[in-house]
Amino acid sequence: MTWLERERNAPAAWPGVLPVRNRYTFGIAGERFFRALKDKGQILGSRCPRCEVLYVPARAFCERCLRGLEDWVDVGTRGEVHTFTVLHANPDGTFRETPEVIALVRLGDGGLVHRLGDVAPEDVTIGMTVEAVLRPPTERQGSIQDIVHFRPVKA
Amino acid sequence: MTAKIKEFPGTALSEKDFETGKILFVNDQMKAEYAWDTGTAIGEYLAGLKRGVILGARCLHCRKTVVPPRLVCEWCFRPMQEFVPLQDTGRVNTFSLCYVTWDVRRIQEPEIPAVIEIDGASPLHGIMHKLGEVDPKKVSIGMTVKAVWKPAEDRQGAITDILHFKPWKEAKQ
Repeated sequence: MTWLERERNAPAAWPGVLPVRNRYTFGIAGERFFRALKDKGQILGSRCPRCEVLYVPARAFCERCLRGLEDWVDVGTRGEVHTFTVLHANPDGTFRETPEVIALVRLGDGGLVHRLGDVAPEDVTIGMTVEAVLRPPTERQGSIQDIVHFRPVKA
Repeated sequence: MTAKIKEFPGTALSEKDFETGKILFVNDQMKAEYAWDTGTAIGEYLAGLKRGVILGARCLHCRKTVVPPRLVCEWCFRPMQEFVPLQDTGRVNTFSLCYVTWDVRRIQEPEIPAVIEIDGASPLHGIMHKLGEVDPKKVSIGMTVKAVWKPAEDRQGAITDILHFKPWKEAKQ
């Protein structure tokens, strides 16, 4: 038995693009969190008095006991680097000339994943104190990009 | 059933809430590129369309001719023996009058997708395509149709190299 052969001139693959767009809304707790960031420049957390956990970003419910969380607090803009990574590639896979540092910045018992700025990748250490650099109030859109980056706190 | 429900649980949002800034949101677009490997049989089929020919594949054991061509016979699982050029004519097996486009827009003049049994292929074997140059009211099952091709220089080896099928009467001998 022999198979039919592939013609040399035949297209090898059919390329295409799926038009996939989305619009994300933050939900009840997320809306309140990003409103505070946009309007007041605050990073909010919510505390569960029973579990003694301070969630950042703020949640509507405790993940441990499922209690509704009423105690919302401003946790300030300072946290510490919990872990970080140095990126040499862009989201589309292209090479970056200047590497970018992405860190999980610990705030309360949670934290935010964001860029680190004003610091060379080799100078970043786990545990270093960093602070959020916010966009000017007029430029804030109500998204995580309202924080430009976190930068080391100068001693 | 949902018509009886006056108010759904949750937070209802309207387009106006987004426009007026009542609600915060982020728009995003996914990069969803793909490349679908045409394989031997469909590759041949697409190359055939570029030449202006509809190709089928024949199994000499089963005496079946299928379109689009396949590499393996669906009845005996043996390799197909040959690619065969078919006619660009056929008859309507089934059709639909579509007043909604693929991206859910209403249209006044319907699109008419149809399964067309291709002449030269085994009975009931055909391809899906659109009908054109026809009054939607006059489309009927069994009507004979013929492919309308793009000009040769515009063909790119795609099923859209056939613009549509139009009604056509076989010349009487």
